[in-house]
Amino acid sequence: GTTSGPDDGASKLERLFSHPLYNIETPGIGPEERLLLAEQLMEYYRRKVSRWERHMKIYSEAAAVSNITLTEHQVTYDPNASWVKFHLGINRYALYSRVDPAIPKLLKEMQGMTVVSADYTQDEKALKGACDCTQVVKPSGHHLKLALKMQNFAKVMFKPMRQQRDEETPEDFFYFVDFQRHNAEIAAFHLDRVLDFRRVPPVSGRLVNVTGEVLQVTHNEDLRGVFFISPANNTCFFAKCLYVCKTEYAVCGGPDLLEGSLSAYLPGLSIAPRISIPNPWIRSYTFSGQEEWEVNPFFCDTIKQTYPYNSGNRLLNIIDMSIFDFLIGNMDRHHYEIFTKFGDEGFLLHLDNARGFGKHSQDEMSILAPLSQCCIIKRSTLMRLRLLTQRDYRLSDVMRESLEGDPLQPILTEPHLLALDRRLQKVLRAVQRCIRRLGEDEVITRDFVKSTTRPQ
Amino acid sequence: MIKMILFRKFRVLILMVFLVACTMHIMIDLLPKLEKRAAGAESGDGGCQCAHHPGGEAQGWGKQRARSAAEAGWPNKHTLRILQDFSNEPSSNLTSHSLEKNTAAGDRAESLRRAGPSAGKAGEHKPLIGDASGGRTVPAHGVSRLSALFEQPLYKVDLPSLTDDDTLFNVNTDIRFYPRATGNQGWHNEEGNEEEDEFSPTGEAESYPNWLRFHIGINRYELYSRHSPVLDALLKDLVTQRITSVAMKSGGTQLKLIMTFQNYGQALFKPMKQTREQETPPDFFYFSDFERHNAEIAAFHLDRILDFRRVPPVAGRLVNMTREIRDVTRDKKLWRTFFISPANNVCFYGECSYYCSTEHALCGKPDQIEGSLAAFLPDLNLAKRKTWRNPWRRSYHKRKKAEWEVDQDYCDEVKQTPPYDRGTRLLDVMDMTIFDFLMGNMDRHHYETFEKFGNDTFIIHLDNGRGFGKHSHDELSILVPLSQCCRLRKSTYLRLQLLAKEEYKLSSLMEESLLRDKLTPILIQPHLQAMDRRLRLVLQVLAGCIEKEGHVNVVEEDLVDTAT
Repeated sequence: GTTSGPDDGASKLERLFSHPLYNIETPGIGPEERLLLAEQLMEYYRRKVSRWERHMKIYSEAAAVSNITLTEHQVTYDPNASWVKFHLGINRYALYSRVDPAIPKLLKEMQGMTVVSADYTQDEKALKGACDCTQVVKPSGHHLKLALKMQNFAKVMFKPMRQQRDEETPEDFFYFVDFQRHNAEIAAFHLDRVLDFRRVPPVSGRLVNVTGEVLQVTHNEDLRGVFFISPANNTCFFAKCLYVCKTEYAVCGGPDLLEGSLSAYLPGLSIAPRISIPNPWIRSYTFSGQEEWEVNPFFCDTIKQTYPYNSGNRLLNIIDMSIFDFLIGNMDRHHYEIFTKFGDEGFLLHLDNARGFGKHSQDEMSILAPLSQCCIIKRSTLMRLRLLTQRDYRLSDVMRESLEGDPLQPILTEPHLLALDRRLQKVLRAVQRCIRRLGEDEVITRDFVKSTTRPQ
Repeated sequence: MIKMILFRKFRVLILMVFLVACTMHIMIDLLPKLEKRAAGAESGDGGCQCAHHPGGEAQGWGKQRARSAAEAGWPNKHTLRILQDFSNEPSSNLTSHSLEKNTAAGDRAESLRRAGPSAGKAGEHKPLIGDASGGRTVPAHGVSRLSALFEQPLYKVDLPSLTDDDTLFNVNTDIRFYPRATGNQGWHNEEGNEEEDEFSPTGEAESYPNWLRFHIGINRYELYSRHSPVLDALLKDLVTQRITSVAMKSGGTQLKLIMTFQNYGQALFKPMKQTREQETPPDFFYFSDFERHNAEIAAFHLDRILDFRRVPPVAGRLVNMTREIRDVTRDKKLWRTFFISPANNVCFYGECSYYCSTEHALCGKPDQIEGSLAAFLPDLNLAKRKTWRNPWRRSYHKRKKAEWEVDQDYCDEVKQTPPYDRGTRLLDVMDMTIFDFLMGNMDRHHYETFEKFGNDTFIIHLDNGRGFGKHSHDELSILVPLSQCCRLRKSTYLRLQLLAKEEYKLSSLMEESLLRDKLTPILIQPHLQAMDRRLRLVLQVLAGCIEKEGHVNVVEEDLVDTAT
C-alpha cells in the first residue's frame, strides 16, 4: 500500500495503538472481575495433564497391538505457558489487555509448536454420527474443523482453507450455506483488535501437515477413517456428514500441507461457563421467511423495553457487534456468547467469524440494522471509528499492516481491505443520520473514562 | 298380504338379477387385471402392481374397455399374451426402475387390442424407417469438412439387409400399440405418473412423431441410420417442442429430469452444473465428478463422427425454470426445492443422492438454465434392454484396485468368457474404450444392449456426462482394454486413421458438428485439441499392438462381410 501521510518511520499501526483513544484507563480490576483464579486454573491444568499421560499409556499399548503408526509426543506441564496467561488475563472488560505480552507469544506458539493430538470438536461429537441430510441449515457440528492440542497443552481450533483468497461467495448463495473461510477468522481477530474491542480469541494462520500433525497424532478411529489419498496423490480428509450428504467433497493437502486458521480455545466450560443467547436481530434461516426486524422499523423500541436490553450496556454491545459484523460482511451472527460469571454487564464474545469477508463488492446494509434502528452508539466506539477514517490511521492501512504479521499473508486481497474503508464511511453516515434526527445527546452515549496518556 | 309377499319376492328377484349383473361386470373388469398379475408373478414381481393406479380410475377405464371387449370378443387375447411374455423375459436383468413399469405393460397391451384399423397404415411409413437416402440437408457453403467426411467411402459402407429379426420393432405388428394409446390420453394426464405419458400419441396415426420414427428405426446394428432425416427433425424437436410435464428420475445418483413434450416424446434433462472452462479438480475421484450437460451433447456428436451411432440423440436447450419446470411438474419433492436466491435468481436442487443440496443448487439467470436433452430410448416394456457389467469396470473405491489393474493377462480371461468369446462383443467393447478415452470418461461401469438382438448387436453408449472433465490430462488407464486385448475392427481402425489426417482432423470436425447445437460453443478449444492428442495416443497403442502381435491378429476384417 502506498501511504502519503507524515512518514516518520513509525508504523501506522503503532501510532494507532499509542493514540490516547487506545489508552483509555480501565478501572482497577479486582479478583471478582477476573474470569479465573490462578490456583483454580493450575489445578485444572495439572489434572488434565496427568489424565492425558494415563490415557497415552493405554493408547500406545493398544496402537502397538493394532499396528497403527502413531507419532508420540511428550506433553509438558508449563505453568508459564502463554495460553495459561491468556486465560488468566480474561476479565469483565475484554478477553485480553492492550499491552499483554502473552498474546503475541500465544500467536507465535500456535504457529510453531508441535501438535500432539487431533480430534473432532465437541459440537461435532455431540451429533454422535447422526447426519440429517435434509437439513438446509447445517448445525455447526457439520462443518469441517478439528481440535488440535499443542505440546504445552494449549488447545486450538483448526479450520482448513476452503476457498481461494480471490474467490467471492457465489451470488446465489444464502448466508447460511456460505463457505467457512480460514482467512476471515484470521482477519476478524485483527480487525477486532484494531477496533479495540478485544472480544475475539487470538487467531493465527498456519500451514498444517495433515499427515504428520493430524492423521499420525489422532487417537480417534473415526477421524483416521476419513483420511484418504486422492488421485493426484494428495492427502485428503472430509467432514463425515457433509460427505455422506454429498454436499461437500474433501479438503486436500498439497501433498500434505494445508493452510488453515488456528484459534485459541477459551477456558473450558467446566471452569468458565458461558451462555449462548439468540441475537435479537437474528435472520430467518429459510429461503423466503423474514424476521420482524426486517419489516418493522420500530423493532428496536420493543427491544429497548425487553430484558436484558432495557438497562446497562447490553444493547450498546450488540451495536458494537453489528458494526463489527457489517465491516466484515458477516450475516451469520445468530447467537452471541457471554461468560456467566460477569452477568449482564459482561462483554459479548465475537466467536466464529468464518463467514465474513465473502463479498468485497457488496455491502450488506441489513447487518447494520441494530445501529440504524436503535440510533445509539458508545462514544468510545464512535471516536475510534472516526479516527480510523483519518489518513494517518486509515482502517485499510492499519489492517494491511496488522495482517502482515501472519505467516499466511496476504490474508485479505486489496478489494476486501478497501471495502473496509467504504463500509466504515457507511457506518459513520448511519450515525450522522441518527444525530440529525435525534440529536447528539440521544445518540452518543458516554461510556469511557479518562485517557492514561496525554494527547500529543 | 300376498301382494306384499309377491312384491318382496319380486324385489328379491330384482336384487338377484342385479347381483348377477354386478358379478359379471366385476369379473369382466378383473380379468385383465388377473392376467397382469399372472404376468407379474412370472417375473417375480407380483407385489407393487397397482401402486400407480388409484382404484377409481382403473375401474372406469376397465368399464370402457369391457364394452369394447364385448364388441370385439376376445380374439386378441393371444396378442396380449405374447406382449406380456415379451416384456417379462425372466432372463433379463432389469433395474428396479423398469420393474415399476410392469403394470403399464398390461394396460398398453390392452390398448393395443382396441385400435385395430389404424394399424395397417403403419406400412405406409416404411420408407421413413429405412434408409431414406438424400434427405439430409448439407450446409450450403462448400467447405464443410463434415459433409466431405461423410462422403468418404468408409462412411458409405452398407448395413447387411435387415430382416424382421434385425429391427427392434416389427412395423406391421408391434408398432400398433404406439398410436393405440390415443384413447387414454386424458386418463394418463390425470394419473400423475409422468413416465406413462410416453405412449399417449398425437391422435393421427398418419404422422408419427419424430421420436416414434426414431424408435422404429433402431435395428441390430445402429440406433439410427447415417443420413436419417428423422435425426435432424428429432434434434429440432428436443429444442422446440413445448414441455408439458417434468419429473425427477429415480435411481440415478445425480439430478436428472424426465421431460415430456407436447407430442408425447420424452427426454432426459441434465442441467448445467459447471461452466465450460471448469475442469474436474485433480483431487476428485471419477465417481465423485459432476455430470456435465455439454459432455452429453459432445458425446453424441463424437459418436456420430466415429460412425458408431450408438448414442441416443442429444441436444442442448435453454429451459425456463419457472414455466418449463416448476409450473409443469406434479412432483411435490421437486417443486418444494425451488427458491429465489439472494441475487433474485430462480434456483432448485431437487432430490438425489449426489449433490442435491442447497450448496449445489442450480440457479438460472434469472430463470433460464442450460441443459442437455437426450431422447428417450423405447420404453423397457416394449424393448427390453440387458445391462452388462463392464469387464474393465473400476473398483469405485478410494483404496482398492480392480483385477484388470493388477493382472496384465486379464484380457485372455475375458476372451474366454461369454459373450466375449464369440461374435463382435469384444470388438464393440474396444470401440467403446476408444470412444471413452477420447472423451476422458472413466465412469463406464455398465453398458446396455437390446435384448431382442441377443448377443449379436451393438452396445448402447448411454450416460456420457462424466466425459470432457479434464482437457489437460489423458487418462491412459481408460485405454487398458485396448492395450491388453490388442484387437480392433478394421473399419474403426481406418476411420481413426482418417480422423488423424489434417483435412479430416477430429477437432475441426467436432467443432463444425457442435456448431449446430443451440448452446454452441459446447466445448472449449483445449477440449477439442485434447481429442486430436488422444487420437494419436490410440493410434500409438495400436501400432504397438501390431508390432507385437502382427496386423492380422490385431485388426479384425469387418469390411468384406459385415453380417456376422
